[in-house]
Amino acid sequence: MILPRRGEPVIVQNMTGRYGRLHTRLMLDYGTNVAAGAAPGKGGQSVEGVPVYDTVAEAVAKTGAKASVCFVPAEFTLAAGEEALNAGIKLLVIITEHVPVRDELRLVQLAQSRGASIIGPNCPGIIIPSQRAKLGIMPAPSFSAGSVALYSRSGTLTYEIAGQLTASGYGQSLAVGIGGDPINGTTSIEWMDHVQGMEDTKAVVVVGEIGGDAEERLARHIQKSGYAKPIVAYIAGRHAPKEKKMGHAGAIIYGDYGTADSKIRALRSAGVEVAATPMEVPALVKKALA
Amino acid sequence: MRLYEYQAKELFREYGLPVPKSVLARDPAEVKRAFASLKPPVALKSQVLAGGRGKAGGVALVDRPEDAEAEAKRIFALRIGGEKPTALLVEEGYPHDSEMYLSVTLDRGERSFVAIGARAGGVEVESLSGKVIRKVPVDGIDDKFAEDVASELRLEGSLAAQFAKILLSLEGLAREKECELAEINPIAVGKDGTLLPLDAKVIVDDNALFRHPEFSKLHPEDEFEGEASRQGFAFVRLEGDIAVVGNGAGLVLSTLDLVGDAGGNPACFLDLGGGAQQDRVEAAIRLVNRLPGATRILVNIYGGITRSTDVAAGIRAVISEGGLKPLYARVSGAEEEEARRMLSGTAVKMFKTAPEAVAAVVKGA
Repeated sequence: MILPRRGEPVIVQNMTGRYGRLHTRLMLDYGTNVAAGAAPGKGGQSVEGVPVYDTVAEAVAKTGAKASVCFVPAEFTLAAGEEALNAGIKLLVIITEHVPVRDELRLVQLAQSRGASIIGPNCPGIIIPSQRAKLGIMPAPSFSAGSVALYSRSGTLTYEIAGQLTASGYGQSLAVGIGGDPINGTTSIEWMDHVQGMEDTKAVVVVGEIGGDAEERLARHIQKSGYAKPIVAYIAGRHAPKEKKMGHAGAIIYGDYGTADSKIRALRSAGVEVAATPMEVPALVKKALA
Repeated sequence: MRLYEYQAKELFREYGLPVPKSVLARDPAEVKRAFASLKPPVALKSQVLAGGRGKAGGVALVDRPEDAEAEAKRIFALRIGGEKPTALLVEEGYPHDSEMYLSVTLDRGERSFVAIGARAGGVEVESLSGKVIRKVPVDGIDDKFAEDVASELRLEGSLAAQFAKILLSLEGLAREKECELAEINPIAVGKDGTLLPLDAKVIVDDNALFRHPEFSKLHPEDEFEGEASRQGFAFVRLEGDIAVVGNGAGLVLSTLDLVGDAGGNPACFLDLGGGAQQDRVEAAIRLVNRLPGATRILVNIYGGITRSTDVAAGIRAVISEGGLKPLYARVSGAEEEEARRMLSGTAVKMFKTAPEAVAAVVKGA
């Protein structure tokens, strides 16, 4: 995975839609170099002074962008993602919620065959405060530069925890929403391995929730790989009912599969400090770094 | 969206999968009539979506018409996981020697669909031993794939051929109808060696429903869940008395945990979604204010893209309509002082942190 760096050009897909416009402005305000937009039939328009092209290929040709932030509605996300990956985009951030699972599987396969990475779908994106690079929809004031890597299956909870870390003096080397769907373009294990190699990262905060077994897999991976950096986790959904989708498509417990207790147990047995509430996270980070 | 067994079996028929002869009955009298049209023994099966139906007593095997009516009355009155059936599936029994398992399901960790088969069935897939698990390509499987699974299960001759055919049909159904899960548990192995799926569990990918209008009319909706979904809220009805509203699924989920830890019981989970504006806040609070069983409301907003002042204005608009249940709010983020000022002098109780708001709403103070 190649992470965005200061000033590198980024394109926005469906820039002319309501969210595309709003977040083009907010990303520009933060310092992201939003260099072009793509929206079929909208070529020639501009948003916040940024030119819009009909296709991703044109936008890439004009700007040299390797990264795209996609706000295309779920029905068209597969086509938009294929267009981006086929046009040479190497980091595709898909904000869109409600993308069908089989479309996500096709995009993941295509990204693998193109040597590209996907963040999301159904996520707030990625922010690297030290680079003033925000490819996503997170509110900038919650985040600050520092040495804690934060990744999460939830959007607002990411902001909440980042805000608390920031208020406690712990800035973030990166914060990323990996997505709330059953399928993530980049898995938590892949993030963990990436963060392992980041010199400016001293601790990792993982925010999980009910559903699936990503946290259990992560726990096994941490144990097996002898992960070197301290890890603090928080898992939402200890009081969630079974068999109910709790907002995110991926947040559902079937029988005993996907419970918060199972995840917390697995992470603790791998030596991870697990916070009982989001508010406890900064104190556990402090302890881990002491 | 999970289908009822009878709906799943209609899909099975459409895809050429064998199923027992059955009739759907809406009351005990219909059960009795259905019984008369079938060859005993006959199974009466509660049509509920909750798991653990057999253990809860939601299935009965009967031989005589008078038993059919009595058992039907019992099963119609039986709540399973809080759910009462509106219909029973009355189905011809199938005497058999052994059972098998087959499913096509999403393996989230492998990021692939998988086919899972086993030479035993009738219990949860987790506890099945000797399972065969194979990744299913996105474009589907062929005869060889199905035959390989059968032979890996050490099935031979007619059994192997029947099993492979069932797998091919089930995979076709799962793919074309975009199911997260299509499961047959158990497949009965009859005395003459004929395979017959006895149960059917199908969960359709909610996000793919726009491509499948055929599923849109299948479920009677809870009034509140229906309205919430039309408004674009993620909403789950729960059994307690504190309506929980927030922005972002994870944040609301973690708020449920705070409420539960403090000894409270949530009446619902409502996620406003990202970037919510004043009108959405209003609509959400109006909706939960009408929710039977909810005696007070907890609002937990992390203001980022959603502006605290929009939330305050939305709450104020609902207050002006009268009849608002006690409302406890934690609204943080940009402009939170202004939001607090807008709500001062109203009955709304404002808090700086989520734990403070939760402690107060649980106490009802």
